[in-house]
Amino acid sequence: MDRRSFLKTSSSAVVGSSLIGLGAQTSAARTIAPSDQVRFGVIGVGSRGKAMMRRFLREPGVSIGALCDVYEPRLDEGREITGEATPVYDDYARMLDEVGDLDAVLVATPLSFHAEHMIAALDRGLHVYGEKAMGFTVDDCNAIVEGVRRNDRLFQIGQQWRYSPWYREAIERVHSGEIGQVSHVYGYWHRNYNWRRNVPEPSLERLINWRLYREYSGGLMAELGSHQIDIANWVFGEMPDAVMGSGGIDFFHDGRETFDNVQAIFTYPSGGTFVFSSLIGNHKVGYQIQIFGTGGTVELTLADGTLFFEPARERSAVPKELIERGIYTTPTLSTQGDMPYRGAGLPIEIPEGPAGEPTYQAAASFVESIRQDKRPFADELVGWRTAVPVALGNRAIQSRDRIDFADYVEAP
Amino acid sequence: MGTTVEIYLYAADSQQARTLFDAAFEEIERIDATLSTYRPASEISRINARAGTEPVTTDPEVFQLINSALSYSRSTDGAFDITVGSLREAWGFFRGVGQYPTKAELDRAKENAGWQYVALDSAARTIQFLRPGLELDLGAIGKGYALDRAAVVLSASGVERALLGAGQSSYLALGAPPGKTGWEVRVALPDNLPLGVTEQQERVLSKVLLHDASLSTSGSSEKFFELEGRRYSHIIDPRTGRPADGMVQVTVVASTAAESDALSTSAFVLGEDHGATWLRERPGVTALLVVGTLERARIDTVNWSQLVESTDDAKSADKRP
Repeated sequence: MDRRSFLKTSSSAVVGSSLIGLGAQTSAARTIAPSDQVRFGVIGVGSRGKAMMRRFLREPGVSIGALCDVYEPRLDEGREITGEATPVYDDYARMLDEVGDLDAVLVATPLSFHAEHMIAALDRGLHVYGEKAMGFTVDDCNAIVEGVRRNDRLFQIGQQWRYSPWYREAIERVHSGEIGQVSHVYGYWHRNYNWRRNVPEPSLERLINWRLYREYSGGLMAELGSHQIDIANWVFGEMPDAVMGSGGIDFFHDGRETFDNVQAIFTYPSGGTFVFSSLIGNHKVGYQIQIFGTGGTVELTLADGTLFFEPARERSAVPKELIERGIYTTPTLSTQGDMPYRGAGLPIEIPEGPAGEPTYQAAASFVESIRQDKRPFADELVGWRTAVPVALGNRAIQSRDRIDFADYVEAP
Repeated sequence: MGTTVEIYLYAADSQQARTLFDAAFEEIERIDATLSTYRPASEISRINARAGTEPVTTDPEVFQLINSALSYSRSTDGAFDITVGSLREAWGFFRGVGQYPTKAELDRAKENAGWQYVALDSAARTIQFLRPGLELDLGAIGKGYALDRAAVVLSASGVERALLGAGQSSYLALGAPPGKTGWEVRVALPDNLPLGVTEQQERVLSKVLLHDASLSTSGSSEKFFELEGRRYSHIIDPRTGRPADGMVQVTVVASTAAESDALSTSAFVLGEDHGATWLRERPGVTALLVVGTLERARIDTVNWSQLVESTDDAKSADKRP
């Protein structure tokens, strides 16, 4: 496909995503009544595939109609969840051809196979829940979006933090101006863990540890960074237009090819900056996202969110009406000189809503989208705006260049 | 889970051991994230929040675990019960301190408990509470289940020899150490060291060579509180709403850790009169019970001699007045 023509057609849709997008209707041909069964086929029954299967099965009326994996033990593990009667395949095309009553496909395969598997499912008229990152290369990402459009199907990307109640609440408050003008987002995802899986025999190394090999994997930038790039995109309401970075194999000299630490700086057209750091040799900071505004800071973790307000200063950009409402006053941080603030912040309270964790919420929302023919909040464009920066971020690190997105895709 | 999990295994080298530990602990973390009542986003918390107002669909694994817990409730006429959170709360167990609830508090807590008010629909895989205040707490079976699952992950990775322990009260053995017929686990005398695999020789009640089997101990000497000179265990008798008494310690060996966990808790609550009898009706189970009170304890066993080489300490324990 011609890259420019794709982007011409897509650029009008590349707008800042917001919660308002949730209710948008698509023109998909078939609408399933809410009481109807929704049947999934699964391509890729590894740890992520199984985790998602369990989430989907927590929704009434959802069943798993077929499983596909190239590694046979995974099929047995999958059947432990779905039951012994579930048909299993080692060839996804056969599964898609032979299992006639599927509504949707969950794709949870290694990154380099996403486009092949997702497009095959879309071309057979099935909706797709696709694991992140959406596509391995820029061309893959373009082809997946084109496949969604060509078939007029629903696509949801597995960026489940879009469905976290505390993320939604926090970002809504950021968008309302509560921490002033947001200029920077910092994301850390640090672990102390070799990122390896046990391999029963050496010939299975690349199959099981595919995350460590560049032929299949975008490494930490793809597997962890994609979530956080997506949050920065959500905060800024746009996607980056340039990236530079560095990375290396500094902790684990064990034959792996993907970096065990990456640092990248993404810049955004309206002036925002996202700084991403992932390393697997130190766990101190764990997973954190810090959203810095002129009037305060929001910190997000995998379990909660916290708000900090800057000390009262003339240049504070906190809207006056918020100060008048008293929101500004209570948890204002105070520090001595340039010492870091070490006090407590104001917890982000989650308004009344459905219980459950983000991955379950994401699964439930996709099922609802299918039943109501409703465009998912984390749709293919959310996926595209994340996976393209992942691919170009890795390119920047490998080439040691600053990458202008306009050289690879049309600036959105 | 609020407990310490330990894993011993044999591997080719330290890197392989590390990836195996990571895989096993990842699975334990998955189970904890699914079952923990302390985590507001867990599946059990989601069920607890909604099942009082409508049937809640859950995944096959969680459904099966709840179903299995309720089958222990049926078989023990309610001595085993996963709905006693309100009673544990009333007795202050969640805060780690004991308190004697008032009659009104106890009555209210009792109204919010009762396994017979959990309605399951296995075709739709739904759970519904017929009393809105009910809450599930799978603690009495979930810890063992987490060990079972971790062992499945290790087996699938080719591990043939491992010992997994949780909170020094449940141990699950895969195979045996090289040249041995089983993993040696020592059952401590009550009121002394908890069950463990330390080199501590003193006051060992019994030694078990555990091979492809699980051992769990429920006791009042490890977790208890004292009020006005009386000692209460942290195990609630759901039938009375009060801490169980009449049993000092129950150790059960069964094929899975979820089962040995459930059986030891059940027998502890069934108490002096019914605990051992109930265990004897269950095929393949062996058990060592310290019956009565700490002051007047006696030993009872269920098929235990096949496993146990009785130590001098155990003999002297038997002679306790």
